[in-house]
Amino acid sequence: MSGELLEIEDYSGAFRSPTGELTPVLHDVSYRLKEGALTAVVGETGSGKSLVALSVLGIQPASFVRRSGRILFRGVDLLSLDEKAMRKIRGAEISMVFQDARAALNPVFTVGRQLADVYQLQHGGGRSAAMKQAIEALRRVSIPEPARRARQYPHEFSGGMAQRAMIAMAALICEPSLLILDEPTTGLDVTIQSDIMELITDLCRVGGLTTCLITHDLGIVAETCDEVVVMNAGRVVETGSAQAIFTQPQDPYTRRLLAASQLVEGAA
Amino acid sequence: MSPRDAVGEISPELGLARPVRRRPKLSWSMRIGAGVLIFYVAVALISVVWTPYDPLTPGIGDGYDAPSWAFPLGTDRLGADMLSRLMAGARYNLGITLTAVAIAFCVGTTIGVIAGYYGGAIDTVALRAVEIFQAFPGLLFAMLVVQAVGAGIVNVILVMSFVGIPDYLRLARGEIHSRRSWQYAEAARMVGNPPWRVAFRHLLPNSIGPLLAFTSINAAFVALITASLGFLGLGLGPNTPEWGNMIARGQDGVMTGQWWVSFFPGLAILGLTGAFYLLGDAISDLTDPRRRR
Amino acid sequence: MRGDGAILQVRGLRKNFPVDGGRHLVAVDGVSLDLAAGETLALVGESGSGKSTVARCIVRLIEPSGGDVMIDGKSILPLEPRRLAGVYRRIQMVFQDPNASLNPRMSVRQVLDEPLRLHLDLPRSERTARVRELVEMVGLTSLHLDRYPHELSGGQRQRVGIARAMAVSPEIVILDEPTSSLDVSVRGQILDLLLDLQQRLNLAYLFISHDLQVVRHVADRVAVMYLGGIVELGLTERLFGAPQHPYTRALLSAAPVAQWGVTRTRLRLVGEITSPIDPPDACRLVGRCPLAQPACAAAKPALIDIGHDHAVACPVVIGGEAALPSGDLQPPVAAAATRGF
Repeated sequence: MSGELLEIEDYSGAFRSPTGELTPVLHDVSYRLKEGALTAVVGETGSGKSLVALSVLGIQPASFVRRSGRILFRGVDLLSLDEKAMRKIRGAEISMVFQDARAALNPVFTVGRQLADVYQLQHGGGRSAAMKQAIEALRRVSIPEPARRARQYPHEFSGGMAQRAMIAMAALICEPSLLILDEPTTGLDVTIQSDIMELITDLCRVGGLTTCLITHDLGIVAETCDEVVVMNAGRVVETGSAQAIFTQPQDPYTRRLLAASQLVEGAA
Repeated sequence: MSPRDAVGEISPELGLARPVRRRPKLSWSMRIGAGVLIFYVAVALISVVWTPYDPLTPGIGDGYDAPSWAFPLGTDRLGADMLSRLMAGARYNLGITLTAVAIAFCVGTTIGVIAGYYGGAIDTVALRAVEIFQAFPGLLFAMLVVQAVGAGIVNVILVMSFVGIPDYLRLARGEIHSRRSWQYAEAARMVGNPPWRVAFRHLLPNSIGPLLAFTSINAAFVALITASLGFLGLGLGPNTPEWGNMIARGQDGVMTGQWWVSFFPGLAILGLTGAFYLLGDAISDLTDPRRRR
Repeated sequence: MRGDGAILQVRGLRKNFPVDGGRHLVAVDGVSLDLAAGETLALVGESGSGKSTVARCIVRLIEPSGGDVMIDGKSILPLEPRRLAGVYRRIQMVFQDPNASLNPRMSVRQVLDEPLRLHLDLPRSERTARVRELVEMVGLTSLHLDRYPHELSGGQRQRVGIARAMAVSPEIVILDEPTSSLDVSVRGQILDLLLDLQQRLNLAYLFISHDLQVVRHVADRVAVMYLGGIVELGLTERLFGAPQHPYTRALLSAAPVAQWGVTRTRLRLVGEITSPIDPPDACRLVGRCPLAQPACAAAKPALIDIGHDHAVACPVVIGGEAALPSGDLQPPVAAAATRGF
């Protein structure tokens, strides 16, 4: 299980303004996601970490123009696939969890219905079987009284619970090989954050799910991740195992980021 | 690391690049709309000092003269020159419209801002009043009130402004209400602004976009209603060269072939209303908050 | 640091919001605290704890439902809203979101000029000089004066917000999550700026935050809030080193540390935060707390002094039965930052 599931190769791109000017935002971004590992992509706002993730799924903003590079998933360049092929991959192979779960869920359908819909989309079958799976998924992400919760609407869920439901949808209903999470705990209370991170690491370890965690919080990275990719201003600055990055950071930016995260004065 | 040492290291904190302020591009709809409107205003102003003939005097021509060099737009049934009447009419239609819109804007926005910021009883009363007003269709309301208070240009202007006040009130109230708990509104209180200044000096300028955009829709509507009232013969005297009135007077001619008596006033109204709509489109694009200024 | 030396005193502050059906949402339920000149008291809590509401009640951006707020021993609650201007010359606020706390249509110069004009009524020449002084005090330059908020970075905007608060030379500054919306690398700079200013101008800070790491870096004393009440209050190092209240322990044990090889044992609270609507007269943690006893549901525990300037609102802990079902009592003492490093 040490192969690479996903490889980003020299990916560069720019944003096109309404007047046609190009502003380069990604410069030769390259990194790999090891199969079965929990990799963190860290960076501050504007580092481009989310943009690359959106590109993997083919849902990058329309104003983004690729200049060069490939995104290889099991050896296939995702950027060369047409929309139909990408749709087969989304959900079934690669799945994504976004930051604000309550906003990502459709407010007019019950949570259970939304999970069941996705189940049917991915696996087919009848409505009641799908609903059973939906409730089971909610149970597996430790949502108490899953049958009752499945009948509720997103606004009746707290932030943390909604995020669990999203994770249930993306990781359990969909059964992907690669799960990308874009700032899944930002904005949640710290106690809830901790719970969600435990859920994510459980799914990763127990299920052997290759996971990519995009975040700016080095605390959760230190505690949970195997590999780290550090990005700054559209470039990959450093990659390595989590232990190496935290104990022996090579790049000056990485060192400063670590120092700032620890609020240690006068750090190197 | 003191702030000064840390400056510029990790993020370009003190980036001193020249900030880019883009000028808004004037779209075609804006140019056409503004152009037409300026044209109308010019005609109205000119008509104060000069028209080819006296617009109010009949009998200059023989009556129902077709358009010719002497009378470029023909004469009406009584022989009065159409071009002169049309030019004079601009004063009425344009003047009433712009004045009424201005009044409605000021009064409606002010009440709306107060209602939106202070909330409570003022808000409830204002909203209910607006709802009652808006229960009546605009034209019907205008007709009833004009009949009740009597004819005269001042009355017409006031009635027209009332048609618009509820909408400005609602819009302003909504915008202010949604912004009043924003942090810069709180900060404005902390720096010493009394509540009314927070509402008018800080919140209102940031809410002006939708209000301005609505102004042109309101103006188009008022222009139409003014002409409608004139068409029905309400509000202004029978000989007033107001365009709606002129259309009404030319009705018989339409059937018997003297098309120009109703046509040109109608065209004038169409042009005015269209210009307002085009401007409205352009204004709402310009004030779109996503276009950073 | 209690009692007489306090420049700001809050006693029994309460705030209720009416909700449908004649019920009330209790946002702040009897909060009392003291702030001395030159010290930093942190108010820590998660969402729903009421910490931001406390801040806004103190400066009367929201009117409290009960209790008292005193500056230099004189209550500021009976003052008419018009008279509050005088209060705002002594107590100011720095807001959380630099994007939302600056008027998008005002340049930096205008933002800083306004309080000088309205509060201090200075003539123009003095205002110009003072504006320049303020802008340099926060690490910006006069070249920034003519910029608008959207032309500044997040950190720069927050600096402007800080300058605005300092404009009237207040004695007390309430900081409502001043670094939460900023990038990690900028956070340290802004905190350093705030500490620097505090030292120079002898400011009292009421520092509101949910970020324990930041709080440990800046605060002299910490008050932990949960569902509208203070559950623990004490000196920073003591509270972080040996937290007493179960909620404090749960909170501290949940915070991840950005260092390799740190393991922590969590004290878990079961389930989600309970409803603040019409709460019963009991400890707010009942139903979630692993130490819960029958006495906890009988009455809301008072904040009791347990010596060394430390107070806890938990009858179980005070009664000495602080043993946890299993695992560590204390959070790991990893070499995290301390003040006066």
